[in-house]
Amino acid sequence: MEQSVNFESFGFGKRLSGMLKVDFKRMLKSRVFYILIACALVLPILMTVMMAMMDGSESVNQQTGEITIMEGPENAWQNIGTLPGGEDMGGMDVFGMCNINMAFMGVCVFVCLFISDDFRSGYAKNLFTVRAKKGEYVISKTLMGFLCGALMLIFYFAGSALGGAIAGLSFDLHGLSYVNLAMCLLSKIFLMLVFVSIFTLISVAAKKRTWLSICGSLGGGMLLFMMVSMISPLNATIVNAGLCLAGGVLFALGLGAISTLVLKKTSLV
Amino acid sequence: MNAIEIKGLSKNFGAKQAVCALDMTVPMGAIYGFIGENGSGKSTTEKMICGLIPKSGGSIKIYGRDHTDKDVRAKMGVLIEAPGCFGGLSVFDNMMLQAANLSIPNAEREVIKTLKMVRMEGAAGNKYKNCSLGMKQRVGIAMALLGDPTLLVLDEPLNGLDADGMRIMREIFLDIVRDGRRTILVSSHLLGELQKVATHYGIIRHGKMICEMTAEQLDADCRTYVALQSAEMSRTKALLGCKYTRVEEDEAGYLRVYDQTTPEEVVTYLYKEGIPVTEIKTDKIGLEEYYIDLMKGGN
Repeated sequence: MEQSVNFESFGFGKRLSGMLKVDFKRMLKSRVFYILIACALVLPILMTVMMAMMDGSESVNQQTGEITIMEGPENAWQNIGTLPGGEDMGGMDVFGMCNINMAFMGVCVFVCLFISDDFRSGYAKNLFTVRAKKGEYVISKTLMGFLCGALMLIFYFAGSALGGAIAGLSFDLHGLSYVNLAMCLLSKIFLMLVFVSIFTLISVAAKKRTWLSICGSLGGGMLLFMMVSMISPLNATIVNAGLCLAGGVLFALGLGAISTLVLKKTSLV
Repeated sequence: MNAIEIKGLSKNFGAKQAVCALDMTVPMGAIYGFIGENGSGKSTTEKMICGLIPKSGGSIKIYGRDHTDKDVRAKMGVLIEAPGCFGGLSVFDNMMLQAANLSIPNAEREVIKTLKMVRMEGAAGNKYKNCSLGMKQRVGIAMALLGDPTLLVLDEPLNGLDADGMRIMREIFLDIVRDGRRTILVSSHLLGELQKVATHYGIIRHGKMICEMTAEQLDADCRTYVALQSAEMSRTKALLGCKYTRVEEDEAGYLRVYDQTTPEEVVTYLYKEGIPVTEIKTDKIGLEEYYIDLMKGGN
């Protein structure tokens, strides 16, 4: 008797939702995710409180006798962006190096480890054997990276406010409104899509070579890193948010297509 | 309909041709033993079947459809090198993730059923990284079995297993194909073990399929020989070498006569030459010897 096989079709939605469900569960079970979120929350608190404690303290240079007076933060929102009349963000001091934009680099570690783990464990092999669509894989990873990045930004924002409150700093927005603050955060969240798309592309190209993907992603991210504070300032409006959203979507689509092509044209093992 | 039908498959890595015009037919319901030395192109062929590396030429049909067809893919389970488990998660959690990925309804029940099938139900709570090699291989097969695939592609699943592990794995293979719905393509270097379960064989060398056969054909092809021991082995060997075309001494110290003959004829001949035979028997060469013979270019 001739044997036959019944084929069951899985639609795009079912395949993607399955993959997203797995990636979401994996993210919630991942230690790196919690470490990054904890860092995003604790770093601004520690930094703000410590800098506030050191405010006004003097240090004397033993050779020149020059006296330097430490300047602590005056405003809780200094970690998020530059207030009108304030100094530019991104200087080579602790505040400049460890502001909210750090999250863009932090998420790089998450995306690179998440994707390289897929290839190292053989999960990607199983996935591509039973699920033929590479594009869906890229969508799923980009969304997970975006979610992690967005959460890091939100936690950093909350940490800054909390740190400011603990240190007794001013919450005055110097003529800006809370809408500006929200738009600034929203712009950064949308910009996260640009960074995550870059990290995803580099990670799928590097596959199981974690260090290569982390170094490549940090290098690639650095090129755009300086732009973040300019595109998403503290006085951001809906125009900034809209531009960031458009940029994020364009980057995600363009780089997502390239990532899919890379997966299609290269060996998956 | 065949489970896998490959015609003229080739794969080039730069100037190196890893697989060259390979033809292969895996019937449905078979346990197909895919045999070849290291670097012969077994894994490359399996990876191409699974769509993990692009082919340079030829065609791969699975159940009569192109191997890239997404509906066909959903019918496959694969264990190539790593099984796709995350070390920090338990066996059960890893299986549940795979079940979610495959959108399996009643996932928990299916996972438990599959773990029972590979005799791993007692170790479901163990972290994957703490499992022994044998357990990891079985988890890999369980992962491949989730979603009720009808074609399993297993690359060297017997590697590193102890005797009991091998026995369990053989039982699992037989359980998998018992109802005739599923097909297994399995590559292994452990030919003796493979011979105990395989129903079909394909032998690959330098990227080319040099022969395909059923277990029955192999059985018929495996020549019988007369093995004997005598008090004067070196003289016996010399004497037998004069009369027969192929006489070899095996690792156990027996002289083997591969020509068409009988133990009676050999004993009579040696008796006439004054050599007493201490032990004599007839036996059949196994898959391993058949393979070595074939690689040497013998018959």
